[in-house]
Amino acid sequence: MTLPDSTFENLRLELRRGCLTLAVLVQLRREHYGYTLRKDLAEHGLVIDESTLYPLLRRLENQGLLVSEWREEDKRNKRFYRLSSDGEQLIGLLLEEWRAINGSISSIL
Amino acid sequence: MELLDRYLQAVRKHLPWKRQEDIIAELRTNLESQLDEKQDELGRPMTPAEAETWIMKLGSPMQMASHYQPQRYLIGPTVFPSYLHVLRLASTWAAVLYLLVNAINLFTGTTLHGAAVASVIFNLPFVLVEVAAWVTLVFAGIEFTAAHFPDKCPNIGGFHAKWSPRDLPPLQPIETPNGKRRTYAQAMAEAAFGFVVLGWLLLVPQNPYLMFGPGVAYLNASPYLLAPVWMTAYWWIVGLNAVQLTWRCLDLLRGTWQRPDLAQHIVFKAVGLVPLLILANAHDRVYLLLKRPDIDSASYGATVQGANQGIHTLILILCVIVSAQLAWDIAQSIIEVARKRATSS
Repeated sequence: MTLPDSTFENLRLELRRGCLTLAVLVQLRREHYGYTLRKDLAEHGLVIDESTLYPLLRRLENQGLLVSEWREEDKRNKRFYRLSSDGEQLIGLLLEEWRAINGSISSIL
Repeated sequence: MELLDRYLQAVRKHLPWKRQEDIIAELRTNLESQLDEKQDELGRPMTPAEAETWIMKLGSPMQMASHYQPQRYLIGPTVFPSYLHVLRLASTWAAVLYLLVNAINLFTGTTLHGAAVASVIFNLPFVLVEVAAWVTLVFAGIEFTAAHFPDKCPNIGGFHAKWSPRDLPPLQPIETPNGKRRTYAQAMAEAAFGFVVLGWLLLVPQNPYLMFGPGVAYLNASPYLLAPVWMTAYWWIVGLNAVQLTWRCLDLLRGTWQRPDLAQHIVFKAVGLVPLLILANAHDRVYLLLKRPDIDSASYGATVQGANQGIHTLILILCVIVSAQLAWDIAQSIIEVARKRATSS
């Protein structure tokens, strides 16, 4: 039986979804605006579409994990995001979970 | 860049209006930064073709905007299991109550005729659609309230929080005669088909063309007439279909539709022999009569006698085949029961 390509693609997306959120939160321990954050993540090997990253930042802010402010930089108004205090607390727990999962998967492999 | 402006304008149309300005301003900043960097790398402005390729990669405006919308569904995954459960219960009970009330109405009315019964049966699907629509509407309301006023709506997932393992039904064997489980859709389709067949059967006496097709014209023009034994057998068939249908509905109601009962299968087959036996025992083996025996017996008497003999033989053969099938099924189920007992001991 040959699996359709969409099966792999769906599973890949599912696997990436949580990881990307974690990566974004970790990266926002330092302040970024959307485009530089995307560039930073891409330099670390995590390429995220604009249509995924920018709405994700909004959602995380709505959940209280990020705070943002509009500020002028290089003659352009930009919206800068960083981790909120709630986000700081949560990221510790998430990283703990991530390390546990990573350790389990490594030991299974 | 004009193309970027056009793109953002198109995205804006699909965004929630309260946040349009803010989202577009942020998106513009990010995309313009990206554009600046790309042009710095190139050392020149983008050509129209390059700009088009870049914008294409961002995804269609609707796709881009859709990511800014909250996830939306009429009935979400938390509520869906309860919805499905209630929908099944409501549709089954609605069918049972509808048929019961209409059956009482028909039998207590002045006249009971096939067309009225058939109309009751053919209206059933519309009743079920209406029930399903109401149940869906109520659950969509629950979902909406839970999503928009979470503090005012109790935890819907909590419906299932009070269950106890002690209430679980006892284990039931899942094997079926053909080794496959019946799905709910299959069981519903069988019941729906049963209703259609019953409706069709009930319409036949007033509209014989439904069974005989254009042959009705021949029957009307011919000197022959069907003997009353056919009507006796017919009402038996109608009764058996109604019983079978009720049983199927009860299966749906009790949630036992997954596993067709072997005993039920044998009982249906055995009772199905009754109309055949009635026909086989027809008085004087008469299945066809002459409309005007005093006039036509000289010309058609021998033909009718031959036809009656032929029909009788055919019915006997059918009786033998159905009895043999029944005996085979009974033997198989006895062997199966014995095998299971041996395995369990």
